[in-house]
Amino acid sequence: MLRRVSATVSLLAAAALALAGCTPADPAGGKTIKVAYQKTDSFTALDTMFQDAKKEFEAAHQGVTVELQPIQANDDDYGTKLALALRSPATAPDVFYEDTFKVRSDVDAGYLLNLDSRLAAWKDWDKFDAGAKEAGKADDGGTYAVPLGTDTRAIWYNKKVFEAAGIALPWRPATWQDILDTARKIKASNPTVIPFNMYAGKGTGEGTVMQGFYELLYGTGAGLYDQDAKKWVVGSAGFKDSLTFLQTLYQENLAVPPADALDPNVWKKVFGDWFPKAQLGATVEGSYTPSFWQKGGSYEWPAYAQDMGVAPFPTRNGGAPGAVSMSGGWTLAVGAETKQPDLAFTFLTTALNAKNSLQFTVASSQIAVRTDVAADPGYQSANPFVKDVSSLVSVTRYRPATSDYPRISAAVQEATEAVITGKRTPEQAAADYDTAVAGIVGGDKTVRK
Amino acid sequence: MARHHQRRQLARYLPVLPAILLLAVFLAGPVLWAFQASLTNAGLTGRHARNPEWVGLENYQRLLQDPVFPLSLALTVLFVGGSAVLGQNVLGLALAVLLRRARPAVSAVVGTAVVAAWVLPEIVAAFAAYAFFSRDGTLNQLLGGMGLAEVDWLYAVPMLAVIMANVWRGTAFSMLVYRAALGGVPAELTEAAHMDGAGAWQRLVFITLPVIRGSIATNLMLVTLQTLAVFTLIWVMTAGGPANGSSTLPVMAYQEAFKFGDIGYGTAVASVLILIGAVFGAAYLRLLREQKP
Amino acid sequence: MADAVLLVIGACFVLPLLWLVLGSLDPAAGHGTKVPLRPALDNFSAVLTPELLFRPLWNSLLLSAGTGAVTLAAAVLAAYPLSRFRSRFNTPFLYGILFGTCLPVTAIMVPVYGLFVQLQLLDSLPATVLFLSATSLPMAIWMTRNFMDAVPLAVEEAAWVDGASRLAALRSIVLPLMGPGLGVVFIFVFIQAWGNFFVPFVLLLSEANQPAAVSIFSFFGQYGAVAYGQLAAFSILYSLPVLALYGIVARGAGNPLALSGAVRG
Repeated sequence: MLRRVSATVSLLAAAALALAGCTPADPAGGKTIKVAYQKTDSFTALDTMFQDAKKEFEAAHQGVTVELQPIQANDDDYGTKLALALRSPATAPDVFYEDTFKVRSDVDAGYLLNLDSRLAAWKDWDKFDAGAKEAGKADDGGTYAVPLGTDTRAIWYNKKVFEAAGIALPWRPATWQDILDTARKIKASNPTVIPFNMYAGKGTGEGTVMQGFYELLYGTGAGLYDQDAKKWVVGSAGFKDSLTFLQTLYQENLAVPPADALDPNVWKKVFGDWFPKAQLGATVEGSYTPSFWQKGGSYEWPAYAQDMGVAPFPTRNGGAPGAVSMSGGWTLAVGAETKQPDLAFTFLTTALNAKNSLQFTVASSQIAVRTDVAADPGYQSANPFVKDVSSLVSVTRYRPATSDYPRISAAVQEATEAVITGKRTPEQAAADYDTAVAGIVGGDKTVRK
Repeated sequence: MARHHQRRQLARYLPVLPAILLLAVFLAGPVLWAFQASLTNAGLTGRHARNPEWVGLENYQRLLQDPVFPLSLALTVLFVGGSAVLGQNVLGLALAVLLRRARPAVSAVVGTAVVAAWVLPEIVAAFAAYAFFSRDGTLNQLLGGMGLAEVDWLYAVPMLAVIMANVWRGTAFSMLVYRAALGGVPAELTEAAHMDGAGAWQRLVFITLPVIRGSIATNLMLVTLQTLAVFTLIWVMTAGGPANGSSTLPVMAYQEAFKFGDIGYGTAVASVLILIGAVFGAAYLRLLREQKP
Repeated sequence: MADAVLLVIGACFVLPLLWLVLGSLDPAAGHGTKVPLRPALDNFSAVLTPELLFRPLWNSLLLSAGTGAVTLAAAVLAAYPLSRFRSRFNTPFLYGILFGTCLPVTAIMVPVYGLFVQLQLLDSLPATVLFLSATSLPMAIWMTRNFMDAVPLAVEEAAWVDGASRLAALRSIVLPLMGPGLGVVFIFVFIQAWGNFFVPFVLLLSEANQPAAVSIFSFFGQYGAVAYGQLAAFSILYSLPVLALYGIVARGAGNPLALSGAVRG
């Protein structure tokens, strides 16, 4: 009788599992390359690139299937989803889209495959810009990721709003004070527009620090990380001053209402709504900005070429080098536990060949990392701002390349959120940040400056 | 013979095995794993992802120093106290009392409305609540229509918003419990009190409530435990913000573990939550034993 | 008096739902509640696509039906000895079970994720079904045992006299008598699994496996800021099945309270 009972159990369970398991599985036999990447309603260029690469690759490799796994999420949630999947070899993708600032921590975690020997045999590798190659390197000096493109950050401003407020064009602020003066002038002339927005808070995630806080911090002479001592900087006056600048912007309503700033989708309104409708004076944004407005972009706005202007973000008091910019960018990497490392790498090179790279670089307004792409007339004339934003490469900064960085960044975002919501003063928020950093990396890895 | 009996006894209980296996692997296992992982520095990325190190009570020490933790604990108490103990419990009792007095048509309609909010999938209820409390949402429309000041609920008073949302979502449970409990109060008791000239309010306080006190205690325990675990509602409405203004323990555990990638620290927060749940659970069991004659 | 107070409270409960209904019919919906100027079904037709609606709903169905089946099977088997034999084992087990119902499931999601990584079960529908079954099992065993207690032993004994084995008697006599009760348990487990967001959110990563609860959340992050109407329409289509199922149970069981404990997050 017991045998029959257990038989019944297993039958029932099997039936349930079969029911649950009858989703389409991998085609039996053939090899499969899983590719994970980000796709959103306003970022489809990468999807297009992988679709093309898949066709090309499958035609050249009979019997191999490329399984595209677009993850529909913003940068932050994409990072979480990818990390969740990477942790288990069973779900880790073979090739994936990886933010440069995560490369080192993911190498430390053992998620990324060392590509040195394969890159040496890839003739195109010499065409990659030496600076950009750095982004794919880990502490051991090996290369684990191939850059897709890079970017810089600058102030984007709406000329119509500025003209209406009587501000001379082209605008080029020399100090933080210039920014505040201009913003107040715009506010006085038309209280309904948002004069000067800077992202802040946890909602916009990495955007908060890359297009906002770091432009401020690095313009004070302070930094986040002491590269030589390999310690995190705490207690700096620059950190407090940067928070104070954000506090001024938000308290005087020169930026968006804090409640809006915390909305993870606020940037969609910046590109899709406020700039085209001349409701926003200026904001700090990436060199990829034109990708949203150009033909085929998610918020097509042909007039952007005339209506928008771009200016470098100034240092606090105009001190050398006179401007601050941040560079990030994304890479493609191969999973450490992939069963077909060679096929996966070959797919990566297909996706990043000259043709696909050019198309992606132009469609997403990236700064080219391949010299042949950079020299292409199609790239140089892709939008009127290519020259301006590319020139910022000379002053640009990179995020500290350490595996603790992602958590430090979260602490910075937390500090900005506390300040713009009025929950903490800049001094308190900076002190909270110091405590948080010590908790993350340990007190002996911090340095007071 | 005795051994034979024992073996038969064992065989009889064999069918319980699948259930025990499921419970052991998927409920007891993770609980034990949680306590173990909270003593390590396991991470989602970085060098501790593959090789977590034993750090003893470090995560718990960090909890004590972290300014967010006491805040989170206080918010959890506020959330449970406000939305479960006060909100759902009292409103549920009031509804149950009123439903017995109202016309059948009215109580059917209102009862359905209350239950509808409860039966909806949690994510849908959360969206509806988000839209209702958002700046240009229904609540502000109403306030504006009545000439009252509008409030940015989710930003200015996030805790009040999520507490009200949870009352809306969960009151049905208490209402159903009390409806059944009231149904079990002998009519003679209240009638006798009525004859003695007791008012409706007095009858409720002095006769009905003492009779159903067992149900009240049970209900309090259950709604507390349910509310302790609420995540989706808060996550969708405020994501724990602004500036951690509504980050209860489940939200904090999720953020630390998955958003900031600190699995060890996140599980320490989760372990605290499990312990709190266990205390209430044990109290609940005691209560049930006492109620049994 | 009671009527008036009740109607006011009822109105408060209906208001947030009103947005859902009106918004879904309004192609120009926002956060506010308003009667659509030109009510239309555009929002519904916009979300009625395989990628957006059908696949997630199919996944939800697999997840919920699978969980219902596994839970019911395990619960019936466990309930039988608990109901039919006397043993020192029964009371502690039942209290243990009851204690299990108190466990805040959100609190164990971080460790469960860790467990799934270790066992390489991440992104697997069957494994998620097993986990969901484990979480609903305590309540299901409790309920099933109560239903089984209500079937008199005498009926079963009559079958034994006729030469039926225990299993045969269970199958042909006891289970049919418990039919409505088992249906109720199944439906409640089903509803619970259908509405669950957090568990699949953490355990199912690829879009191909995600149930509606999760896909609706990413829809909210992606388009929710612009297409409120479609979000509302999507939400309604996703909620209808459980509302209908609840209706069946509430009508059939007469006393929804006996089962109320089953639906909780």
